[in-house]
Amino acid sequence: MDKPNWNQFRLYVITAEANHPGKTLADVMEQTLIGGAHIVQLRNKTGSRAEVLEQAKALRLLTRKYNVPLIINDYPDIVLETDADGVHLGQDDLPIAEARRLLGPDRIIGISTHNIGQALAAERDGADYIGVGPVFPTDTKPGRAAVSTSYVAEAARSISIPFVAIGGITPANVDEVLAAGAKRICSVSAIVGSPDPAATCRAFLQRIEAAEGKEAGRQKQLTVNGRAEQTNARTIEELVRQLGQQNKRLVVELDGVIVQRALWAETELRSGAAVELVQFVGGG
Amino acid sequence: MARQDETIWADRYSRQTRFAPIGEAGQRKLAGSSVLIVGVGALGASLAQHMVRAGVGEVRLVDRDFVEPSNLQRQVLFDEADALAMLPKAVAAANKLRGINNEVMITAEVADVNAANVSKLAEGVQLVLDGTDNAATRLLLSAVCFRQRIPFIYGGAAGAEGMSAVLLPGHTACLRCLIGGQEAAGGGDTCDTLGVLSPIIELIASMQAVEAVKWLTGNASAIRRTWLSVSLWPFRMRESAIPSGQAGCVYCGDQQSGRGATREDGEIKPEAEELESSILCGRDTVQVTLGRPFELERLAEQLEQSDCAVTVNKYLVRAQLSSGESLVLFPDGRALVQGTADKDRAVQLCRFYLAGQSTGRPKSKIGALADG
Repeated sequence: MDKPNWNQFRLYVITAEANHPGKTLADVMEQTLIGGAHIVQLRNKTGSRAEVLEQAKALRLLTRKYNVPLIINDYPDIVLETDADGVHLGQDDLPIAEARRLLGPDRIIGISTHNIGQALAAERDGADYIGVGPVFPTDTKPGRAAVSTSYVAEAARSISIPFVAIGGITPANVDEVLAAGAKRICSVSAIVGSPDPAATCRAFLQRIEAAEGKEAGRQKQLTVNGRAEQTNARTIEELVRQLGQQNKRLVVELDGVIVQRALWAETELRSGAAVELVQFVGGG
Repeated sequence: MARQDETIWADRYSRQTRFAPIGEAGQRKLAGSSVLIVGVGALGASLAQHMVRAGVGEVRLVDRDFVEPSNLQRQVLFDEADALAMLPKAVAAANKLRGINNEVMITAEVADVNAANVSKLAEGVQLVLDGTDNAATRLLLSAVCFRQRIPFIYGGAAGAEGMSAVLLPGHTACLRCLIGGQEAAGGGDTCDTLGVLSPIIELIASMQAVEAVKWLTGNASAIRRTWLSVSLWPFRMRESAIPSGQAGCVYCGDQQSGRGATREDGEIKPEAEELESSILCGRDTVQVTLGRPFELERLAEQLEQSDCAVTVNKYLVRAQLSSGESLVLFPDGRALVQGTADKDRAVQLCRFYLAGQSTGRPKSKIGALADG
């Protein structure tokens, strides 16, 4: 894949022609790209293969112009034929391993997941990213129960490949999803069904950047045992836990002075602090 | 031909007294002082040698273990004959030390230091030197030292790493405040798991010994006030400042008034016992403490009748059991069960072989022994 930073995406947009009667697919999707969409998926569950192929060719030209990856829902063969960047699979589509065999190691393979078990399985099977949802009830996928932001939080804790929250997300409720730990947002009808898709994309990106700013405010740069370490640990106790050292008997030094064991929980870390964690030597 | 004793030994401390901060006055202070060394393994033997050669008036040794071949690589006071004779470490060390400096009063106690005997052992000494091999006993020693307001000089070594610090009542925090008490996990690195190189022993013992000499010669202002962490392989050395006593701590709190928050009222908390059962045993030895003292001779006969291969000396009985383990029994009522790390198994063996020797079933006071 010639887009090494594709996984830095924040806003993922999916086509839904039924949501914009009277406007062409290409026009609407160009508006999303003008608005700043980082990745585009062609999703057409009702059209013929020939129709999907034509749309894929059109979107390939468009996304090249904006240097944005194009993902095709369901059709690995169309991915290859149009030189798209990857495929998106549902739980009932072909297995990840089979898609990988067809597409080779460099194309992107994403898959929709609806619970943490599916998410962990996808990660294990070699997916490049997963969809997490539907977070809220949505008309795009009627009949599927919403999983709520608690699954988003679970994914944020347990999944290390990129995950994108999806399903009923709008500029009005996106803060809730971001607060649950999502860093990537996907929206379908709220964007392509909007009278001004570019403005809606900008509204989403503004909320995402605001959340990133808050997160960055919590991140600190520490020196731990001589090595630079980025952490959101608030106190020494939290840092020890994050580093998995809580079951060891430690001597902890902060900026040259040992911190008493009983004060770990209340000793706050500030950016730039130097921390030494040394295991107590018990032999004699 | 032979000169009088006084003349022969007149120069014994000459190179030490020529060192200006000590001088003749410092030497007299050393002669008038007494120290307790707890644990006479690697660190303890080296510390004892430093104290005895330096001319400290009284050196008290206490250790619960006996000399084995695996000790000889680093425990400087012991030799092959001690290991063959299975001498208790405190006894073997005292024998050597008396030959090094007969002017020093050396007492050797073969015992496990615990909450019941620690205050008496530390009574009247000017400082306590740490030669132990576990966090639990150190916490107990720190507690008694802060209560009796005598310095505790911590040292620990494992692998090629070591640490040392002078914990000074009225000035520094106590050990429990620094590393956590019984609620804190883990005993720290031990020689059992990491092995240990003899140079780190000598380095850490030297770090402890020099601070002891400063304190005993009246050079308290020269004492190093940092926590030293050293690795010799790869080399790394680091000093960390030690905070002062923590308000609210029963041992090091309320230092301005010159006494700990508990003053005279409380018992020393028996942290050692509560922790001991949690110490992992890398050497496959479990210590079981029975109800009352053993009569070694009678015990030896009884074990021989049970078809055990029995070795006896003045200080202990060792019985090789047919099941592969061995029991090492001390007159103070302790059994070291060698060849198992399983406490239940150790208690079971003691019950079986020592029935009738103590007040019945062994108490649940079990500790795993590190190779100190």
